[in-house]
Amino acid sequence: MSRYNRILAGGFSLLLFLSLISLFSGAQSLTVKTVISTLINGGDADFIINQYRLPRIFIAVLTGIGLAVSGVLTQGIIRNPLASPDLMGISGGAGLSACTVLLIRPDINISWLPPAALLGGFSAALFIWLLNRWHNPSPARLALAGIAVSAFLTSCINFLLVLHPVEVNSAMIWLTGSLWGRSWDYIWPLLPWLIILVPFSFYLAWSLDLCALGDETAGALGVNTQRLQIMALASAVALASVCVAVCGTISFVGLLAPHLARLLVGSRHKLILPAAALTGALLVLSADTLARNLAPPLELPAGVLTAVLGAPYFIFLLHRYKGW
Amino acid sequence: MTQRSALLFFTLLTVQLSVFNLKAQAAVINHDNGTLRLQNPPSRIVVLAFSFVDALAVAGISPVGIADDGDKNRIITSVRNQIGSWQSVGSRYQPSLEAVAALKPDLIIADSGRHQSIYQDLTRIAPTLMLKNRGVTYQENLQVMLKIAAALDKTEQVKKRLQQHQDLMRDLKKQFNSQATFQFAVISDKGMWLHSPESYAGSVIAELGLKSPLKTGGGEAYLAAGFEQLLKTNPDWLFVGQYTRQTVLDKWQKNPLWKILTVSKSPQLVYVSANVWSLAGGMLAAEQIALELASHILP
Repeated sequence: MSRYNRILAGGFSLLLFLSLISLFSGAQSLTVKTVISTLINGGDADFIINQYRLPRIFIAVLTGIGLAVSGVLTQGIIRNPLASPDLMGISGGAGLSACTVLLIRPDINISWLPPAALLGGFSAALFIWLLNRWHNPSPARLALAGIAVSAFLTSCINFLLVLHPVEVNSAMIWLTGSLWGRSWDYIWPLLPWLIILVPFSFYLAWSLDLCALGDETAGALGVNTQRLQIMALASAVALASVCVAVCGTISFVGLLAPHLARLLVGSRHKLILPAAALTGALLVLSADTLARNLAPPLELPAGVLTAVLGAPYFIFLLHRYKGW
Repeated sequence: MTQRSALLFFTLLTVQLSVFNLKAQAAVINHDNGTLRLQNPPSRIVVLAFSFVDALAVAGISPVGIADDGDKNRIITSVRNQIGSWQSVGSRYQPSLEAVAALKPDLIIADSGRHQSIYQDLTRIAPTLMLKNRGVTYQENLQVMLKIAAALDKTEQVKKRLQQHQDLMRDLKKQFNSQATFQFAVISDKGMWLHSPESYAGSVIAELGLKSPLKTGGGEAYLAAGFEQLLKTNPDWLFVGQYTRQTVLDKWQKNPLWKILTVSKSPQLVYVSANVWSLAGGMLAAEQIALELASHILP
């Protein structure tokens, strides 16, 4: 088995192991036997296992994959190590529009949230793109513009929630990202998007490697660079948006996962994508498991925990980055 | 009438009576998310907001679980003394559904202003009442309390206690008879929030016939106030509940303009419990607020 396969296999077993830990731990301690019999036959603990812990594990893994793949695509296209959907304001845009929809129509069917978030995510992306056409972006400038837009959008969410203080707990979800109260109902709106977008991103991976050689070389090697850039960015924005629609702006996963994957498997996109997807899933799942188990029955927002990891790493990146 | 038809008539009558009896036992409660039918009075109740705990205490029933933010002292003593021990089910903002389910409740009472997004999940655990807690006023809360009493099949007991409560309030109102203005506010290191007559404490003050220094009809329960707004409001009595040890009031009191305030010249700045005046919100809390007001105003 090659080194790469070993890493993937290792990551996958780690993910399985973590899922088991997450399944077996929580505010209520259940024996291994109870958990297994509940998985098969239901029974007394049916809600806790089958309606609560299990869907959260799935949602954590799915959103982790979505955010990480989105991060890989953004970094690959923009060729900027600081780029990621949350630092670029895409998550903020998606969060703002999902949150607005929920405030206007609290009883809306949740399958409308991903399309609403897509609208917000694409508007934010368009806005950043316009900003960058207006002044020639260096990677650092782009990151700064993204952070500014992101902060602006977050403040808009804040403003909306102050204006309509109907649901304080949804505020926590939109501002910090959390998997609290997320059941199977939220998987169905999320899954179809990921089933289409993740394989599509893998399909784009080959060409992204050529892009790393520079636009001219890539063009000479038969890549329609402009089309590729648009497709990759569009799927990055879409992935990030639908994930945000379900569990809010869980920060830094889109930034962190591609970097960790690159450390492990080098910089070829075909290799990075699966590794980053695994890393993202691991990050969100461990954040949520910790969130549920640090001080039960109190729950913390998972986004706070990813930020605890992500913020120092972001500062480290800024410090290491010499291309100002 | 033959003997046989008399027997039939009698049987029919008993059947009808027993059906009527069944109907009488089933409590039907309209709540903010629909209608809930309860065949038997519930005994294992989980509540996700403080004012509902107050209502349970009045009905003489102890909840098995409370979203108490992990701090038992959040439940005010007058309520805590009337109920038995309970399990925490996490914070009011994000109660742990797992902890709720683990208690195997037969009724959950949740805050319709705070827990809409988990209503579906809650109904999967147990029959759920969604009632107003966040931003509830004194009068609204009494209605909520009666709904809870109906769900618990304790209407008579609660109504009797309510009568006592209303006598007390009427009695105090007669004695107060003050022209001064009264304001309650919560303070922390981040700022001050004036509770208008639309808020719980504000509506209790209004119920007692005491005046508010705020212009009425704003519709907002909590008004964020800086020092200037406080100067403009200038209440004759200021009751403050502290959320943190250091507050903005410490800073404001050093300001030369502080002396303009009426409360700076008289002992009419009173520190009270934020738990009782702001967080609790229930009939027992209202009595405590009323009695605390009386102890300061009445000679």
